[in-house]
Amino acid sequence: MVRAALGPGGALARGPKRLARFVPASSVVAASTLSLLPIVTEVGWVPDFGFLLLLAWRLLRGDAIPSWWAAPLGLANDLLTGGPIGLSVAIWSGAMLALDLLDRRTMWRDYWVEWGLAALLLLVNEVARWRIDALMRAPHDLAVVWPPLIISILVFPLAAWAASALDRWRLGR
Amino acid sequence: MAPPTGARPGWSRRAQYGLFFGFLATIAGLLIGLFLLGLSLVAPQAYAGVRSAALDTTAPITGGLREATTTVSGLFSGAGNYWDAARQNAQLKDERARLNRQILQARAILNENRQLKAALQLRERTPAAVATGRIVGSSFESQRRFAVISAGTGDGVRVGMPVRAADGLVGRVVDAGATASRVLLISDRSNIVPARLLRGGQAVISTGRGDGTIDLRPLEVGRNPFRRGDVVVTSGTGGLYSPAIPIARVVRLDDDGAIALPLADPSNVSFALVEQPYEATALAAPAEPEVER
Repeated sequence: MVRAALGPGGALARGPKRLARFVPASSVVAASTLSLLPIVTEVGWVPDFGFLLLLAWRLLRGDAIPSWWAAPLGLANDLLTGGPIGLSVAIWSGAMLALDLLDRRTMWRDYWVEWGLAALLLLVNEVARWRIDALMRAPHDLAVVWPPLIISILVFPLAAWAASALDRWRLGR
Repeated sequence: MAPPTGARPGWSRRAQYGLFFGFLATIAGLLIGLFLLGLSLVAPQAYAGVRSAALDTTAPITGGLREATTTVSGLFSGAGNYWDAARQNAQLKDERARLNRQILQARAILNENRQLKAALQLRERTPAAVATGRIVGSSFESQRRFAVISAGTGDGVRVGMPVRAADGLVGRVVDAGATASRVLLISDRSNIVPARLLRGGQAVISTGRGDGTIDLRPLEVGRNPFRRGDVVVTSGTGGLYSPAIPIARVVRLDDDGAIALPLADPSNVSFALVEQPYEATALAAPAEPEVER
């Protein structure tokens, strides 16, 4: 055995990080925190980063974030973004359940299937938000849903890349 | 062959129970979420405490970042100003001379106005400013238009107070934390402001469209009263906003109304002024100024 393999960064010293279990969930909270950036805009077309990263983690690995963690993560997202409290709790838990059920139905998985599933859930998210906005006395046209939806579908591969990079880092691969 | 991605815990009873209870907990999370959402639809004031606490925790982060970005962009625009100083100086001198002449005119008009009002014995009130705050953030992830300002109940801000900037109306306070508060912008779909056309004084209603523009409708059905470039100001109806605060400028006409751009662009306004409601009783019903639609 070469002595170098035992040093820091050597082949044998690699392994999961100490808090590897909590890296996915805390990265989702960090993504929700992006909504605190001091950007003042007149249009709300920026994607919902927390939900994107949650979907990316869930589609990458079934066990990275336990399904029931979606509820507290969603609550954190609601409080950080200032949205109606309970909306992300419900949608994120529902998305986890839907993906759990879909896992048993899909025959094969590849990038396109995952992107399609993510796009479907992002659509559900945007339309649910639109409905809730209407119930909160802000009835927009349905047309306002499309630009943020398209942007977040196009941003999803970036979230998937971020999740897989974090996954490799936390597992020390 | 790749291992199945579905839940196959094997023979371990502990792992099986873990999965099962995780599943139940997710369903419970979904139900709790729906319950919380229902509560925030029917009784949004139930969350006032937790929302303002979250606002107090998060606003300093946004404020600090905002400070840093304005400093950096200020360095660049400051350098740009030096570069062009001579020409700008001449331009500004011209403008100052022009404005001085206008001020003289305005002073004469003001005098006359005061005399006329005294003759009519109109009671004049100027609403007192409660606090000033910087606009530090906005809801750029949702279709609703909210902004966060760095003034809260500690400065005397209460929910429902109107917020304006030097250029025009910004909106009204919907959540007030101790050091920060959230403002419903006039471009939000649910913000309805009773307004009046500056030219002619016809009563109109301004509603946000959620995309940074404002929808203007005349109160009386008839000929479309708008022209491009028209300015609308608050009418003071409803008692929340004091009269004659500029709201928006018309940029496009449609069949029975017009689309307008807010005069106070929250992304350029650095300071927002929180004011007392025009009528003290308007705070008692902070949700909507009364408007016949």
